[in-house]
Amino acid sequence: MKIELTSHSSNIVIVISGEIDMHSSPELRARLLELIDKKPPVLLIDFTSVSYIDSSGIATFVEGLKGMMPYGGRLKFVSIPPKIAEIFGFAKLDRVFEIHGSMDDALRF
Amino acid sequence: MHDRVRLVIPSHPKFLCLVRDLTVRMGRITNVTEEEIEDLKLAVDEACSNVIRHAYKGDTTKRIVVQFKTGPGGLEVIIEDNGLKADPSVIRGRDLDDVKPGGLGVHFIRRTFDRVEFDPKKQLGNRLRLTKYLKTNHEN
Repeated sequence: MKIELTSHSSNIVIVISGEIDMHSSPELRARLLELIDKKPPVLLIDFTSVSYIDSSGIATFVEGLKGMMPYGGRLKFVSIPPKIAEIFGFAKLDRVFEIHGSMDDALRF
Repeated sequence: MHDRVRLVIPSHPKFLCLVRDLTVRMGRITNVTEEEIEDLKLAVDEACSNVIRHAYKGDTTKRIVVQFKTGPGGLEVIIEDNGLKADPSVIRGRDLDDVKPGGLGVHFIRRTFDRVEFDPKKQLGNRLRLTKYLKTNHEN
């Protein structure tokens, strides 16, 4: 797994590539929570190049979401591959995460 | 189920990618559909993660044995450890409507495999037997 930070319209974008699993999710968790500590109003996660996610990766994002909710921050997922979207759907997380097809859509809503 | 393949890995999360890769290959050899192979990969990964997390309590110096049995009827995956005994009666995933970190792995395993059972004959540690029937064979 690789994590890169970029920006889109002044918002932080976390671009993740590769597999998010029990081995890599602690690094993701550390980076995500470090960013959330700064209370960004919006945090965008670019899933375009994510090939796999397990329950530890999902738990990391749930934790991130719960960290942003108290101050009204919004965690937005962009370009989720179909299989990963199906997993989020099965886990009923598509109801709690904001999922968008593109960066522009994510910032429009 | 005839042919057997055995993988032994240290109980470190960095080796789980090997389990996933082999699961995909064994799924293809068994003629499981590509969509179901993705589910198999996730389910077997979750089962091995549970061994590291619960049976070995994060100890990365132990070992996990993953055995695949493939045949015309389907695929059986047997995961063995020598860690703390699991109590199947208390293993359950979280309520999916209760959004919180954790508790999803069991759901991923149960939705994928037709049979999920701990072997009661295993004295030390756990032997988890996961069986996936090929749909056409199972239905006939």
